[in-house]
Amino acid sequence: MTVRSGGAAPPDDGETRAEPAADWQGWTACAAAAAGFVLCLLGWLAGGGGFSAPWAPSLNLRLSFTFDGLSALYGLLATGVGALVFAYGTRYLTLHLEHQRRSVVERWRFWPWMLLFAVSMVGLATAQDLVLVFVFFDLTAVCSYFLIGFDRADREARTSALMALLVTVIAAVAMLVAAVLLYARHGTFSIPELLAHNDSSTTTAVAGALLAVAALAKSAQVPLHFWLPRAMAAPTPVSAYLHSAAMVAAGVLVIGRVHPLLARTEAVLTGLLVVGATSVVVGGVLALRRDRLKQVLAYSTISQYGYVVMMYGIGGAAGNGAAAFYVLAHGVAKSALFMTAGAVTTATGEDRLSRLGGLGRRMPVLAVAAGAASATLAALPLTVGFFKDELFFTAALEHGPMTAALAVLAAVLTFAYIGRFWTALFLGPRRGEVVTSSGLLVTPVAILAVVAVIGGVVVEPFARLAEDAAGVSAGEQVALFPAYHLDARPENLMALAAWGLGGLLLALPRVTGRVSLAVAAAGERWGPRRAYEAALHGLDRLSSVLHDREVRDLRTSIAAVLVPAGVLIGLAFAATPTAGAYVVGPVAGVDWVILPLLGLVVVTTAVIARSRSRIAVALALSVVGFALAAQYALLGAPDVALVAVVVETMLTLVFVAALARMPDAHPVRDPAVPLRRRRRRDALAGAVAGLAVFVSVWGFLSQPAPDSVSAEHIRLTPDAHGGDVVTVIVADFRGLDTLVEITVLLAAVVGVATLIRRGRLW
Amino acid sequence: MSPGDDDDTPDSVVRVVARRLPGPSVVVAAALIVKGYAEVGDGFAAGVIVALAISLVYVALGAEAAESALPLLRHAPKLAVGGLLLALASGFFPLALGRPPVSHRPGPGEHVVKIGALELFTPLLFDIGVFLLVVGVLTILVHHLARPRGERTR
Repeated sequence: MTVRSGGAAPPDDGETRAEPAADWQGWTACAAAAAGFVLCLLGWLAGGGGFSAPWAPSLNLRLSFTFDGLSALYGLLATGVGALVFAYGTRYLTLHLEHQRRSVVERWRFWPWMLLFAVSMVGLATAQDLVLVFVFFDLTAVCSYFLIGFDRADREARTSALMALLVTVIAAVAMLVAAVLLYARHGTFSIPELLAHNDSSTTTAVAGALLAVAALAKSAQVPLHFWLPRAMAAPTPVSAYLHSAAMVAAGVLVIGRVHPLLARTEAVLTGLLVVGATSVVVGGVLALRRDRLKQVLAYSTISQYGYVVMMYGIGGAAGNGAAAFYVLAHGVAKSALFMTAGAVTTATGEDRLSRLGGLGRRMPVLAVAAGAASATLAALPLTVGFFKDELFFTAALEHGPMTAALAVLAAVLTFAYIGRFWTALFLGPRRGEVVTSSGLLVTPVAILAVVAVIGGVVVEPFARLAEDAAGVSAGEQVALFPAYHLDARPENLMALAAWGLGGLLLALPRVTGRVSLAVAAAGERWGPRRAYEAALHGLDRLSSVLHDREVRDLRTSIAAVLVPAGVLIGLAFAATPTAGAYVVGPVAGVDWVILPLLGLVVVTTAVIARSRSRIAVALALSVVGFALAAQYALLGAPDVALVAVVVETMLTLVFVAALARMPDAHPVRDPAVPLRRRRRRDALAGAVAGLAVFVSVWGFLSQPAPDSVSAEHIRLTPDAHGGDVVTVIVADFRGLDTLVEITVLLAAVVGVATLIRRGRLW
Repeated sequence: MSPGDDDDTPDSVVRVVARRLPGPSVVVAAALIVKGYAEVGDGFAAGVIVALAISLVYVALGAEAAESALPLLRHAPKLAVGGLLLALASGFFPLALGRPPVSHRPGPGEHVVKIGALELFTPLLFDIGVFLLVVGVLTILVHHLARPRGERTR
């Protein structure tokens, strides 16, 4: 299968240099995906199954998974395409790392994420609980973030990864909101139970729209499509997987899963139809004139998932069936095309159509395999792609003439851009030198091409799989009859029209090019990506302003915490009735000792505020601490008093030790703020915070809680074999809190060690 | 607090007392832990008391001399980590028995073996863990703060 070339031979040292160790991580992932494929296949043939275990019973959350038709389709796609892409990736990644002179250890930053990507896709396909769906949905986004940003030295890769993460994850919040809305109405997150409620209220409509928003952002539909073309910064195996079976497919998977819920509201379906059609046109027109291989394919993905969204918008048995079949056919073709692009770029070092051409004679196997994949996308006969368009046209015809016209337009655009892609790459004058080639980069493409052609001859298994999947989305039995009909039925005429017009577009590259460039320029200027960037910069600037203000010096950072807290308490104080809430109690007994102690605290605090000497401040602070400890002792909390005394002693010691390390020079004042204004500002901040605390403590002491939790603690202490309530609370009743707190203690000392001695604990 | 300077070396009484104090402080800490559940005091207070005695040694002798006089101090990181693990283990072992975390054994109403004031039950392990952690953490802290700037390791 190795493609030998007439181009330049590989560099001489390539022969003698030791081959890098086999990518066993990649092959492990590939084997796992292949095993998953067999399991999914057996599961589908056995008729599915599922299990359900309680997760958070108080919220009625369950870990419930069911392997149904929809799970089978997406599971088989994710594992099957996954296995081939991973096999391809073992070779690609090795070359990629070699090319960038990176260590093979970096495979560890790639394969675990790829495998998790596949696992979360299968999890998403089988999950039956909205919160679970949300978790897997975001898990795919997290995986894609690390995979798109794999070339982390590349700024483009990093911003693209962040963009993909932000757009899809922020949109996914809409899904969570929808889940909570539905839970509030029906008391369950379980999708089958939610579908069983025959409820077409506003809540359902809003929840359906929100679910659709999350799914459409994930499937890169206009106007949230701009992240996908940027995501081609990822290594090719990631792109191939992300576009065909994983990330982008997750969006339409969710639509398919909750489709009966969406179908309750006509407006949601119409919205899907409009968004899908817009995406088909925008993606298709933009794909017509892209120069980079992966960009053509990326815009094609936007357009192709636009088809699927359109079909879900059409709904019904025909729409759902066509959508499921389309996802299957597209997944096979698109992964093959991405791997073709990667193989070509690896072989020639070029990634632009304008610098490539005539590769057909030099890479014949790849040319034929890519041709089959392109034909699948362009819906030519003898490929599984023909049937995807046949079903699409049937569904569109049922819906109405307008939709049918849009369907033909979509097919025309697809034919034109994919035709340009293949002809520019493999036909025409020779451009680009084939330097290296590897069989492992071609074999997966060939296998997928064979699958596509087999599907074009024996469509039965594909149709059954799509029927089972559509049965879940439609909520009823779906029967699909894709077949070749040699007559003048409307579907055939539409297909002929599409090929004819597509060929015309292909023959007029100047006209299409000008239109495509104009649309691209308009998108650059007014497109949603600008809004995204403006929002990101705005947030960044706001955060910097707040941050600057907060960290200017110690006083401002304390004020940043205390002043907002004080203002909030002040607002609460203003909003609540205060008559009788504040009482001055009698002064008796031990109070006469406490009052002078409090007086001491006030005096020392004033000293702290006025003093210039650091050591005086440290000592005065310890006086405050000891005075408060004495109060604890007087108020019957000897435990707290003991701890307060020992901790206060320790703190004073640490303070003095830390002060000994401080430079002698006085701190430089910020000249931007004059001293007097600063004093006034500090006093104001202190007054706001102090008054707020005073008011809330006074309010609390005026009306002690009648039946406090402490009485219960005291009652239960003997049962815990204790005599001292505080110790029992710390070690038993609130033991979990203590565990967390002592862990924080160790974390804090590690922080100190990091600051002072680069992390050496001793 | 600046060790090594002859001018402000504390007088010999403080040195002798500081050198002798860690032993008794451990006894006091042990007493606090043993009586912890019945009376005032717990592992945390006991830990801080021992750490205070250790800090006094640092103050009196200086970091270098203190660490050569008490070579055990260099095990402080192990003490801290070990204490944390002991406390976490005593908190989470009930999970292995299918019970919520921090359900101490013996449970309410069951018999507890007593040796004098010492009760033999899992909160004791918890308290000892906290004690070891606090001693370790505070010793590390004092060790870092007491060394002059620029000095990396011993």
